[in-house]
Amino acid sequence: MFDNLSFNSNLCIVFEPQNILEMADIAEKVKSIIVEKLGVEASEVTPEASFTNDLGADSLDTVELIMEFEKEFNVSIPDDQAENIQTVGQAITYLEENAK
Amino acid sequence: MAYQLLKGKRGIISGALNEDSIAWKIAERAHEEGATFTLTNAPLAMRMGEINNLAEKCGAKVIGADATSIEDLEKLYDESIEFLGGPIDFVLHSIGMSTNIRKGREYGDLNYEWFLKSLDVSALSFHKMLQVAQKKDAIAQGGSVVALSYIAAQRSFPDYTDMAQAKAMLESIARSYGYHYGKAKGVRINTVSQSPTKTTAGTGISGFNAFYEYANQMSPLGNATADECADYVITLFSDLTRKVTMQNLFHDGGFSCVGISEEIVEKMEKQ
Repeated sequence: MFDNLSFNSNLCIVFEPQNILEMADIAEKVKSIIVEKLGVEASEVTPEASFTNDLGADSLDTVELIMEFEKEFNVSIPDDQAENIQTVGQAITYLEENAK
Repeated sequence: MAYQLLKGKRGIISGALNEDSIAWKIAERAHEEGATFTLTNAPLAMRMGEINNLAEKCGAKVIGADATSIEDLEKLYDESIEFLGGPIDFVLHSIGMSTNIRKGREYGDLNYEWFLKSLDVSALSFHKMLQVAQKKDAIAQGGSVVALSYIAAQRSFPDYTDMAQAKAMLESIARSYGYHYGKAKGVRINTVSQSPTKTTAGTGISGFNAFYEYANQMSPLGNATADECADYVITLFSDLTRKVTMQNLFHDGGFSCVGISEEIVEKMEKQ
């Protein structure tokens, strides 16, 4: 039984679902932050949705969202990178790649 | 042109978001007039704007503070006095925010949680700034405190929604606290009711361009710019206005006293 665990293939099976779970967690957290901060319906928060064009965010909202992501995911998002985060999907991708 | 009107004076300037801000212009003018000061804004506004550039230009220290937090305001005065080396001679309150306006809520459909937030951020913060200062005895004898207001405090402007109440409260606090702080320490407290101004906050109001133009055509001197507002506020911080207190001072090119102008008559006749 223990021998089986030493196989790499088994280890992969153990770790993969965890990674998937973490990614899903990030996406869910991002969505719930957006729902709360922008006061929009969860159904509107699709990956393609733009904060300003589709979800009614103004300039203050977008900065507030970035700061909330930083706090929640313990990351520092430089201004030049923050400028490129304009849709829900872009936020999720950035945080999946950079969240600690 | 500089006259060294604020030579040797120490101040705190809030609300400088970017170079369009009235507070930004006031900071630049105060610097030209020989004042030293600290700059403060909410952490969110600091992240959004360019306050560090202004600080560098004016040799000012930036102290982040949420003006609705007593603790933050205490820290603001303590650090300002330490940095400037003595009590404060002038304070600018240039803080306002309405989520109801930002979200385009109609006056008959306001969110009350946001309404209270508007009052807290835009008006009560002025009382908090004054009360914290008085308890700490942070403002020097004869000091001057100015808050920026708008004529929607007296007249109805449909799209100004809950900010109209916030400005009315702000002006009322200047009168009430002007009495108490005047008696206690000769501190003067006034509000300046400024023309509509093309700032980040101003242009957030729907229909802004229309009422900017309307006010401009109603005012014999035209709208007052942010730079002109800065000039005026500098005189209020200076020793030239030692007995001006508890006033709401219109700085609006004459708008507040005009019934109708020839320009508007002409426009109406064309219709």
